[in-house]
Amino acid sequence: MQGIIKQVGSFFQHSLVSRVLQAVLVSFFLLTIVFFLLRLIPGDPAMVLLGENASMGQVEEYRKLLGLDRPPMEQYVDYMSNAFQGDLGVSILRRQSVVKIIASRLPVSLWLAGSTVAMVFVLALPLGLLAAVYHRTWFGYFFRVTTSIAISTPIYFTSLVILLLLAVKLDLVPIAGYDPEFPKNLRTLFAPALTNSILLAPVLARILQASVIDTMEEEFVEAAIVRGVKPLRFMWHYLLRPSLAPCIAALGYFAATVVSYGVLIEIIFNLPGVGMSLIEFVRAFDYTAVQGFVALTGLLVVATTLLADLLNAWLDPRANLK
Amino acid sequence: MINHDPGSSPPLLSVNKLRVSFRVGSGINLPVIDTADFILEPQGSLGLVGESGSGKTMLCRTLIGTLARHGAVINGGNITFSGQPITNLGESEWRKLRGHQIGYIPQSSMAGLNPILTIKSQLSEVVKHSTGGSESEVRREVLGLLERVRIPRPTAVMRSRPHQLSGGMRQRVIIAAAIAQGPKLLIADEPTTALDVTVQSEILALINELREELGMALLLVSHDLAVIEEMCSLMAVMYAGATVEVGPTENLISSPNHPYTRALNTSRTDKARPGDLLESIPGDAVSVGHWPNGCRFWPRCPIADLDCQDGLQPDLLAIEQRASACIHSDRMEVTD
Repeated sequence: MQGIIKQVGSFFQHSLVSRVLQAVLVSFFLLTIVFFLLRLIPGDPAMVLLGENASMGQVEEYRKLLGLDRPPMEQYVDYMSNAFQGDLGVSILRRQSVVKIIASRLPVSLWLAGSTVAMVFVLALPLGLLAAVYHRTWFGYFFRVTTSIAISTPIYFTSLVILLLLAVKLDLVPIAGYDPEFPKNLRTLFAPALTNSILLAPVLARILQASVIDTMEEEFVEAAIVRGVKPLRFMWHYLLRPSLAPCIAALGYFAATVVSYGVLIEIIFNLPGVGMSLIEFVRAFDYTAVQGFVALTGLLVVATTLLADLLNAWLDPRANLK
Repeated sequence: MINHDPGSSPPLLSVNKLRVSFRVGSGINLPVIDTADFILEPQGSLGLVGESGSGKTMLCRTLIGTLARHGAVINGGNITFSGQPITNLGESEWRKLRGHQIGYIPQSSMAGLNPILTIKSQLSEVVKHSTGGSESEVRREVLGLLERVRIPRPTAVMRSRPHQLSGGMRQRVIIAAAIAQGPKLLIADEPTTALDVTVQSEILALINELREELGMALLLVSHDLAVIEEMCSLMAVMYAGATVEVGPTENLISSPNHPYTRALNTSRTDKARPGDLLESIPGDAVSVGHWPNGCRFWPRCPIADLDCQDGLQPDLLAIEQRASACIHSDRMEVTD
């Protein structure tokens, strides 16, 4: 009996199925918290939508129409049972299915997040590796100073500098807006992704630098140097691969940051993504829409963690995911 | 310094008044080796003994040309290998020497292999240099290497990764990688420290067999006198960055000419009788940057007097086959 329990336990710890269950659980708790938190904020959608001139009676009537007059617990049970069937309700502000709104907005945000993460890795891997190998030289010093500056510059300032440089002076990218077609959208995403990368790549590069410096102290690196392992193979298999674990672990943190910076970036660069509409929905007390977006964020974070685990298993065969 | 017999062929390795320091800032150096002196004949064996922090590992790094990546430089003396000076070699010249001429076994069997690569993948790095050949050729070479270090079930081991092997097996693989290119000198930095006693003697026996088979000289670093006694005909004792006594192992152990050598010998656990109190050396080993004036051992030395406390660390003084840095080595018998 105990053996079975143990097996079931390890199954839940490791299997892909357990990840999906985990995602469902995370979303469930997130939804519950957000559902009640939203209702604790003074004000409600009926008041916002009808405006200041509406009478109390009109507001009451509208509440009834939206079903907000019922006890919160009843609303909650109703909402959750629908949510688990894939129905996230109708946006109060837009009178449109929340799932449909997300479906139309999500691709832009995913493209933004994807190109940001890609750019962050492309910038951070060589930078961090070089900064580790040359950490005793002027380059190491230069790296410390510039990354500190980049990390501590506020995002609205960085984005304006980039817009001024790339869009106004050099006219390389459009100043704002989004082209949904695939190859063209990368051009419109370049400046926003770069802005985000300038904030995130230094963080990753520093994590990598510290990790590679630790790896360089390892005996197997010394032994490999004496054996005379070919330079490229040495860089990848002996310095980078054994040092990547902390960077992959940071992906979880990055997922959250990419989403929260994404809100600001979508506003600054006028990208019709999830972040931009989220602000609008929060202002309007659009309960259903906000709840839907939050559940989505939870799913995204769990998905990134899964991705990080899979990456880790590929990089380091000791961390095996079934 | 011990004189090399001018009639014979040049020594394989000769380290002369070697000084090494860490570069801590612009123009500021922190000495770690000052000075090391010894000679190793072709196919000879020399044991390097000393407490941790005495500069043994830095000396190994000097001899495999990896000082720079540990932030250290040679700032005095010279080293010759097979008659050629190797004190100021560039990276590309070191590349020709490492592996082919000088093999290296790192300290710990745990960290000596890359944890993410299979054994085959790591060993094929060394055989590819010589064969440059096809997949099956590389495979055969790797198998041959594993058999040479007496690894049971080599085909299975080839496919495994380090964490799937025992400490002894890992150390055998590390040795296989070190000897693959047929070096003339094998440098082993505490090769058995992390292993239990039975495995330790197996590994030492393997190193001895391979030495005979390949005609390699051995530079063995250890803090275990019993290991040195078993493996090496010559011995160099290091204290606080200096070689304080050099000579034939049995002579140094039976009649030490330096109080530190004697202290190491009397604090051996393998020679102690049950019930005896273990002798230990009073005080702590001095760390880099805190070396005293004069002979660096004087604060812990039972026969030190005022003469020992001034000036520089005394040079090695040769008497026949051996040399000691103790200015009072004549008093050693008396105080015993």
